[in-house]
Amino acid sequence: MANILHVCCIRFKLCDKLKISLITSVKYLDQVMAMLGVDMVSRLTETYLSLTDSVEDDFELSTVCHRPESMDKLQEQTKFTKKELQVLYRGFKNECPSGVVNEENFKNIYSQFFPQGDSSMYAHFLFEAFDTNKNGSVSFEDFVFGLSIILRGTINDRLNWAFNLYDLNKDGCITKEEMLDIMKSIYDMMGKYTYPTMQDDAPREHVESFFQKMDRNKDGVVTIDEFIESCKKDENIMQSMQLFDNVI
Amino acid sequence: MAAGVAAWLPFARAAAIGWMPVASTPMPMPPQEKRKAQDGLIILNVSGTKFQTWRTTLERYPDTLLGSTERDFFFHEETNEYFFDRDPDIFRHILNFYRTGKLHYPRQECISAYDEELAFFGIIPEIIGDCCYEEYKDRRRENAERLQDDEEMDMNNDVTPVNLTFREYLWRAFENPHTSTLALVFYYVTGFFIAISVMANVVETVPCGTLPNRSKEISCGDRYALAFFCLDTACVMIFTVEYLLRLIAAPSRYKFMKSVMSVIDVVAIMPYYIGLVMTDNDQVSGAFVTLRVFRVFRIFKFSRHSAGLRILGYTLKSCASELGFLLFSLTMAIIIFATVMFYAEKGSTGSKFTSIPAAFWYTIVTMTTLGYGDMVPKTIVGKVFGSICSLSGVLVIALPVPVIVSNFSRIYHQSQRAEKRRAQRKTRLARIRAAKIRGTNAYMRYKQNGLLIDSLEEEAGQALVGKAPSPPFESQHHHLLHCLEKTTNHEFVDEQTFQANCMDISVMNKTGSRASSLSSSPHGLGSCCSRRHRKKSSFSLPSTNNQELSTIQIRERPVANSRASLNAKLDETVPLKCDEPYITPSMVSLSAPVVTSSDGDGSTTTAYSQSNIVRVSAL
Repeated sequence: MANILHVCCIRFKLCDKLKISLITSVKYLDQVMAMLGVDMVSRLTETYLSLTDSVEDDFELSTVCHRPESMDKLQEQTKFTKKELQVLYRGFKNECPSGVVNEENFKNIYSQFFPQGDSSMYAHFLFEAFDTNKNGSVSFEDFVFGLSIILRGTINDRLNWAFNLYDLNKDGCITKEEMLDIMKSIYDMMGKYTYPTMQDDAPREHVESFFQKMDRNKDGVVTIDEFIESCKKDENIMQSMQLFDNVI
Repeated sequence: MAAGVAAWLPFARAAAIGWMPVASTPMPMPPQEKRKAQDGLIILNVSGTKFQTWRTTLERYPDTLLGSTERDFFFHEETNEYFFDRDPDIFRHILNFYRTGKLHYPRQECISAYDEELAFFGIIPEIIGDCCYEEYKDRRRENAERLQDDEEMDMNNDVTPVNLTFREYLWRAFENPHTSTLALVFYYVTGFFIAISVMANVVETVPCGTLPNRSKEISCGDRYALAFFCLDTACVMIFTVEYLLRLIAAPSRYKFMKSVMSVIDVVAIMPYYIGLVMTDNDQVSGAFVTLRVFRVFRIFKFSRHSAGLRILGYTLKSCASELGFLLFSLTMAIIIFATVMFYAEKGSTGSKFTSIPAAFWYTIVTMTTLGYGDMVPKTIVGKVFGSICSLSGVLVIALPVPVIVSNFSRIYHQSQRAEKRRAQRKTRLARIRAAKIRGTNAYMRYKQNGLLIDSLEEEAGQALVGKAPSPPFESQHHHLLHCLEKTTNHEFVDEQTFQANCMDISVMNKTGSRASSLSSSPHGLGSCCSRRHRKKSSFSLPSTNNQELSTIQIRERPVANSRASLNAKLDETVPLKCDEPYITPSMVSLSAPVVTSSDGDGSTTTAYSQSNIVRVSAL
């Protein structure tokens, strides 16, 4: 039964979200009906349909199409101008014709900027940070919202976003382990061929110095307030935050 | 750089926010953007077809023509677009490369046209995507083979060497029988003798009737033993002489001795010599008889005479792996089935399957669907397995055969193409030469007409010739050639006259007297080109053109010092005899020290014998 509906959805090219919700509800119904034993007919038609369309199914499923909201709405919600949105979307759509980026694609794209090292871990963290609704894919809206904060947000916004990136389990504080993971992923991007040669404990040492700087009350974790406060006090970090003003 | 994802660069830079708080040192300054990203549309007009794209799309690949400032050279101010006078169909693919980051090769395009376009736009072909790369490489290889064949033709035909050593001449005669009549004769004679020898080998085994005092039939070979022996000797003599000559003439003797053909030659003549050397001993006569078998290898000598045989041999060589596979699988199957048949037929009485090797014969005959019938299974089990054997035989043999056939077909067609090209080549070259001659003749005519028109205008101030003016391109081209002539103090001539002159010069050199075609003139000239003022000849010039040109003689300069060449005084010209249309040439000696006096007819001969570059103007 669920499969029939599935096929019908594909036939009528219903939108992804609608399809998913429809299918889940029907699946539940299907289970109920199966318990009652009223699924003979559906099973027969299922098999018939599956015989004829099995290959098609797979193909159709993979070309999911997602359309972003209109440009006006996006313009209201973000701080980009129309032209900037156009440029961003064109680049986005070029690389992801289906309208959404999944993690593998994301990692692929990001790795092309860092050919010497392994950027997959850092890309994974970035993906987690961009994917605000945790559905496993980054749509154009997510993409643009994230960029809007980083490139057009206030210092507080940016620092908030960075904290969000570091806080892997989103519990409001950064532990040394989380920081170590982040640090390792950053150092991995450098690759093997560096000068001076990469020591194995470089990330750990860096984490130590970071915590020394950031952790005010020395409780082993860095909270958002500590983070923002310490960053604001640091000249270098403030200056580097200015870099993002004219990236696009 | 990942130019394909260049659009994501802002994202990558934004993602660097994650590094900022953990960085311990200040970040470097960002690059200054000279011009704020003008993300405008660019119009590319390729032979009328307009393509439009974003500027940033093109700038993804800055080391190509379109992505760098090189495209500014093609900017057309009036229409505010970039104009390229190239093929729009192929340009489509090139532009797609900028858009998608993948270069595709269209199958219907000619490979060299495509390569040219890629080279023009500065794109290396190695980035063609995987989907099209194989096809591209195949086509390229085909084209290269074709070109190589052509070049080889060129090398073989155009090398008309004048001074070959005897050895090189001999080698060339052997390899290319068409070069000289002697070679051709030798080629046919050897072919004839090969045929004779092979036929003699065959005929001497035919039974030829009985001897008067015996009842057994004897073969012709034994009956006319002396005749056959003489024939054999003659053939072997010829073959030996041929082999020795080839050995002498070969440029690399070691390589020659290693080659297949020479091995065949040796094997063909060895049995005879071994037979001569060995005594008529009974024990070795058995071995001697075996050696006679090798005489049949003479038939392989025909492969020098037949291209088809060579192709077959080449095919077998190139399909060696398929043949090997065929052999291996057949062997496996034979062993399996022979074993099975042996054990199946073991029980039956009077079966011919006495051992497994004996069963091999049955298996082979069955698998190749020959079925002689000298060994047949009698038990039911044997019959069952026998039928399976014959069915599988068909399959096993049928599998590699198409590969071999297709290889043969490919090579054969290639050689056919080569033959066709060779045949067409002559007419092609003739046509090309004719076109070139037309071009040079046009230039000659221009020279005569043009200069004469000038002179006439000088003299009489009237334009005589009602000839249509030549198009500006041609006239500029002619002017250019004229300037070149003036620069080098030489003139252009056409081929026949040049060759004729070469012959003339060689003849003249031998006789040492050139009085017939020389005459000195009292006039001296300061310019290379002397002009003759001759009204009458303006109309008859085209006909006298050839005659004039035939007397132009140019000779190479053996002397080392060249300071005098261009600045030497030209001291002689030829006066045009007003009543004769035939214009004799003037001889100009360019050697400064040997300045002949302006009078004296005979002095030119002496000057000429020591002459350097001689330029003759026949105007």
